[in-house]
Amino acid sequence: MRAGPAGWIGGIMKHTKFNKIRMRETVVSYAFLAPALFFFCIFVLLPMIMGVVTSLFRYNMKGMTFIGLDNYVNMFKDEVWQKSLINTIILVVGSVPITVLFSLFVAAMTYEKNPFTRSFFRCVFFLPVVTGTVAVTVVWKWIYDPLNGILNWFLKSAHIIEKNIMWTGDKKYALWAILIILITTSVGQPIILYIASLGNVPKDYVEAAQVDGANDLQVFWKIKWPNLLPTTLYIVVITTINSFQCFSLIQLLTSGGPNYRTTTIMYYLYENAFKRFEYGYANAMGVVLALMIGFISFVQFKALGSDVEY
Amino acid sequence: MKKILSLGLAAALLTASLAGCGGKGGSETTAAPAGTTAAPAETTAGGGSGTPEAPAASGDTVEITWWAFPTFAQDADKPAGTYEAEIIAAFEAKNPGIKVNLETIDFTSGPEKITAAIEAGTVCDVLFDAPGRIISYAQNGKLVKLDDMFTDDFVKDVDNEALLNSCKSDDGSYYMYPISTAAFCMAVSKQALEQADALGCINQEGDRTWTTAQFEEMMQKLSAAGLNGATVYCSGQGGDQGIRAFVTNLYDSQVTNDEVTEYTLNDEGGIKAMTKIKEWVDAGYMLNGSAYNGGEDVDQFVAGNTAFTTLWSPGLASQRAETLKENGIDAIALPFPSQDGKPELEYLVNGFCVFDNGDAAKAEASKTFIDFICNDEEWGPKDVVRTSVFPVRQSMGDLYAGDAEMGFYASLTKYYSPYYNTIKGFAEMRTYWFPMLQAVLNGDSTPEDAVNDFVAKANQSIVNAQ
Repeated sequence: MRAGPAGWIGGIMKHTKFNKIRMRETVVSYAFLAPALFFFCIFVLLPMIMGVVTSLFRYNMKGMTFIGLDNYVNMFKDEVWQKSLINTIILVVGSVPITVLFSLFVAAMTYEKNPFTRSFFRCVFFLPVVTGTVAVTVVWKWIYDPLNGILNWFLKSAHIIEKNIMWTGDKKYALWAILIILITTSVGQPIILYIASLGNVPKDYVEAAQVDGANDLQVFWKIKWPNLLPTTLYIVVITTINSFQCFSLIQLLTSGGPNYRTTTIMYYLYENAFKRFEYGYANAMGVVLALMIGFISFVQFKALGSDVEY
Repeated sequence: MKKILSLGLAAALLTASLAGCGGKGGSETTAAPAGTTAAPAETTAGGGSGTPEAPAASGDTVEITWWAFPTFAQDADKPAGTYEAEIIAAFEAKNPGIKVNLETIDFTSGPEKITAAIEAGTVCDVLFDAPGRIISYAQNGKLVKLDDMFTDDFVKDVDNEALLNSCKSDDGSYYMYPISTAAFCMAVSKQALEQADALGCINQEGDRTWTTAQFEEMMQKLSAAGLNGATVYCSGQGGDQGIRAFVTNLYDSQVTNDEVTEYTLNDEGGIKAMTKIKEWVDAGYMLNGSAYNGGEDVDQFVAGNTAFTTLWSPGLASQRAETLKENGIDAIALPFPSQDGKPELEYLVNGFCVFDNGDAAKAEASKTFIDFICNDEEWGPKDVVRTSVFPVRQSMGDLYAGDAEMGFYASLTKYYSPYYNTIKGFAEMRTYWFPMLQAVLNGDSTPEDAVNDFVAKANQSIVNAQ
């Protein structure tokens, strides 16, 4: 039976009311989002757009002159930038796998311990994160000091070395010295996340697998690891981004030396912007760095994210 | 009803956020009166009863902001900015039409803060700094000309062409108003030299000039006694002038030509000096300082870990006097050694500049304030002494009468070399200096290649800055 005019009117009214409710909900949602969106636009989106635009200019204290892609061309020809790129890649490639594996190892070793032990390890590994980069770097500076550092003292006392080593000033050791600090400051959060994530793996899955005769390794790879993939993806992406943006360690410890052996793209960007006042050139570096991070994050999502179930 | 409430709440949040963003017009807020207690990072000197000198053009109070590096020494246990706040209080008492807000900045993050503020249009009105940075701001059109402050009397009183030129930009106008000056030099530990029986290697008479051969002999004796020589510090950027002066003096080289138009460090003397330094480091007479910046080199010296430092000045001697005393070290200041025993020294000039913030009243008020700091009968000499160096105005006379050590430092002014810190592209050149030293010390390049590469890049920096 077809509805009469009264039915149509009723339907339209119902539809209109439904639309009104939806509209009101939408407005409320956007109103709640508005403050955050406002700040995002002003302090993130707008500077990003300005960064991209000014990278096309010779932009320094004197003013701006449009030069098209010259900054990008010069950057790829710049030997120091090339060195910085290699150093940055070494830091990323060195720190990300070690951070993930080490955090997973520590978390796996501690998550089933009693709450006190678990909290102790959480505290130990999270301490460098909450202490702040400057304080941590100052401590490492003392550790690495060529004349009075505890590392040289320890190695000499153990008869491992005969002469003091200049850890942050010697081209053989400087980047590795930075890498060690980067790892120590990066593992805190992943350990906490892995401990939480391991605690959330359903126990009945693990017990069922054990009943079926799975050994510890099989339980880990077949049961626990798939459950840890979302956490791993997050850790890999965040650690990669942080490693790409390694700056304060370099600035406080080596200033990019010796002879650009520890200069990263972020540090070179800073040097161009604040020491040479070449803002356009520095922005071009920032754009390329952002594109690199974006591309690598995309690849990581594709590679690791396909098996992730939320 | 709930949703309307939610909407209202969200709107209120947004309004509050927006309100938080606005508000601050341009000038700073007031705080505790200056000259009383601690002066925090941002202090505003409070008023005071005025004298009739107030220059406020419109009758309203002109508010200016002063950013100060920690150049003025503070009384013991007083935080940075305390003495500056006292100056402001005295100034405002005489100039009720001008209100000065003080912000202290440090040498580590200060330069970046200034650069960012210049681009953001939030830079201060008055800056207390040195020509290296100030003239670079002038060359980029950021400063107000101070030609009217360089009266004939003042120029005659200073009577030092090199020093006056250091306050000028390439357009011939003055942009920095100098207050005090001193030569950079080096220092040795008397105790270390006595222990190594090397005290005879240095000259403690007159101007204490000495030769490179004497210096080398001193280092040999120190090394034989198991003592560390100075670090050839080359990390960071601060203190780079000290090591540059050390290099150029060893075999009579020059960073630039006399006209200060071209870098010339790759002359015979410059290459020989770098070669010799590399030999000394390899022989253990000096330490590879790729991991040390200038401040850390001084730290090692005052801690007694090294027997000498190539970064010293009357200001540093004053700042580190307590630590030296605690560590039982008598620091003997010396000019840099040179082949013929006639040093050519780089020097510090402390001075003020005025940023062009597009407000003539503020610019005039800033000049009045600078004039007070430098030339007030009571505060001028006091302010010079607080910088721990010497007045640029000869009429101030000997402010350290009876102090033999300051007398020695004063005697070094006759060895001033051409001042090249105002050369175009100076900021860019500085970024190449320490990497060049690091390349030599770490064996990445031969001294000759490294110096040639440095000079090529440094000369290119002049072109880049055109």
